Amino acid sequence: MRIGEDIRSMKIRGAGRIARAAADALRKAAQLYTGGDLNEFMRYMERVASYLVSTRPTAVSLPNAVMYVMNRLRGAYNETSSVKELKTIVVEAAEEFIEYSLKAVERIGEIGSRRIRDGDTVLTHCNSSAAISVILHAHRQGKNIRVYATETRPLYQGYITAKTLAKEGVPVTLIPDSTVRHIMKRVDKVVVGADTVAANGAVVNKIGTSQIALAAHEARVWFLVAAETYKFSPATILGELVVIEERSPLEVVDRDYLEKNPNVKVLNPAFDITPPQYIDAIITERGLIPPQAAVMILRDLFGWPIQEHDIKGFEESEPLD
Amino acid sequence: MPTSTINPRFVLGDGGVVRGSFEALRHVVSVAVEKVRRARDKQGIVDSVTRVFLDAIDLRPTSALLINTAREVLLGLKSLLEKDIDDNELRTRVVGLLESVWARAWSANDSAARIASRRLRDGDVVMTISYSTGVLKAIEYAVRSGKRISAYVLESRPGGEGRLIASRLSSLGIPVTLIVDSSARLYMRHVSKVLVGAEAVAANGALVNKIGTSLLALIANEARVRVFSVAATYKFSYETILGELIEIPRLSPETILPRELREAGVDAYVPLFDVTPPEMIDAIATEKGFIAPTAIPYLLRDMYGKWPPEPPSPRSLAEELVSMVS
Repeated sequence: MRIGEDIRSMKIRGAGRIARAAADALRKAAQLYTGGDLNEFMRYMERVASYLVSTRPTAVSLPNAVMYVMNRLRGAYNETSSVKELKTIVVEAAEEFIEYSLKAVERIGEIGSRRIRDGDTVLTHCNSSAAISVILHAHRQGKNIRVYATETRPLYQGYITAKTLAKEGVPVTLIPDSTVRHIMKRVDKVVVGADTVAANGAVVNKIGTSQIALAAHEARVWFLVAAETYKFSPATILGELVVIEERSPLEVVDRDYLEKNPNVKVLNPAFDITPPQYIDAIITERGLIPPQAAVMILRDLFGWPIQEHDIKGFEESEPLD
Repeated sequence: MPTSTINPRFVLGDGGVVRGSFEALRHVVSVAVEKVRRARDKQGIVDSVTRVFLDAIDLRPTSALLINTAREVLLGLKSLLEKDIDDNELRTRVVGLLESVWARAWSANDSAARIASRRLRDGDVVMTISYSTGVLKAIEYAVRSGKRISAYVLESRPGGEGRLIASRLSSLGIPVTLIVDSSARLYMRHVSKVLVGAEAVAANGALVNKIGTSLLALIANEARVRVFSVAATYKFSYETILGELIEIPRLSPETILPRELREAGVDAYVPLFDVTPPEMIDAIATEKGFIAPTAIPYLLRDMYGKWPPEPPSPRSLAEELVSMVS
């Protein structure tokens, strides 16, 4: 699965894009299937689903997207005997999810932009389509805004953000990550994306987010998180911890450095956790909520109380064979 | 404007790398010694010394160490000029003066580091940023006295000096972990002390140091981890007592902006230092002792015998010296 590999290697990155890519991968996998056996098709799809979920441990949007498609497939499995029909269901569900996801990002932009005032200076971290949507909506409404984009070590995703915004005519200034407290006095609002929102409203996002939130909190600067509801993690309601992905040291230093300094350990966590008390609001496509109301979103999406079987098929799913 | 006598690479750094200020001073002193040895007469000697130090201060105006040692050198030179000695004698004495000012400053740094090392306990996990000789020595002394110390080192963008200090620390045989600047808060819960150097300490106890220091201190404060700065009294900025603001130099946007982004119209802001408020610093290790940052006025009054101390500015001293020999 090339899409799976692209997600793992971070060629495809950003929780929203990963979710859409996963739905798309399921769609393609279904279309590529040539056999006629119903059970074999189901096993095949479950294997693809497990593989996709395994590619990145932290972003919950990935299993949520896979679950969205797979639950529809599993529901239809008992009611039909036609592989063709099941394939159609996968394709439709995947397309629905992708469309929903894109609309969600737009809607978040509309809602979030109302919180951005004319003349505001906005700071953003990493590269989030939802956060960019908020900024661009405000910009297109004619509000005069300036943006500070952090470089976002180690992979410099800030470059993509800066370029995207500059192309749209938003004045952007790139800053090293260590500059965020120094600059916070000049900032009116911080807008970031999310990889996962936990049941208590804690936000898992690109490494560095939590210290930006701390610096914003200290300076009494608003800290907003833009997150589609499929980034909310139902498993955290059941006490599951969000796993923080550790990536290769080679993203931080080169091989030469590692060889010359065998006793220097290089740690490269991809995410950190921002506690809810530093977050003023989470902007979802269903509206702006305080982080502590994350549980409400989860209840609406997954029912209440959330049962193991409701979310099975992504957190702990085992391949059928 | 005449070209600088100093190679900026050795005083400030290259591509955003900030050299330790003691390394910068070492370079400045050796350039001055070289020029004095070659100077033809009294005037040549005075010109060399004043130009080298003023050029260094121009390159790195935040460095209290450069300003204070410049003052010490120029005051010493003034008293030598007041004596009736010939050019050769003066040349020898000025070289001696330069070396002795360097030695005093370096030994103050060493004593401050030794004092800081006493605050490190067996089993401490230290987090640091940038490259500070004071921090390096403090950890080295602690390790030599048998304490088990481990360290988290921030990469320290834009220069990445963290890579260098991580390497030096690991050669002490201690466990060293290098992380990106953004990871500081994630790992702070494993840390027991934050140890940083100092570019300058202002009259109110605020610490000017490598960009990211104030964020690191904030993160440590949140986690109730103590923050210490190793700063010999040579790092105190006397000018701030009279209200001077310390201007933070910045690098050109090109230092961090790839060409593609520049062409897309993206700007960059790259300040080299930031200011940590005194309430975020638990103590400053000086060669005179371990003090609260807000106790600095007391320490200075004690050192100078009066308050406020009124040290002459290196620039006005330089002018005075030049007029003495012309």
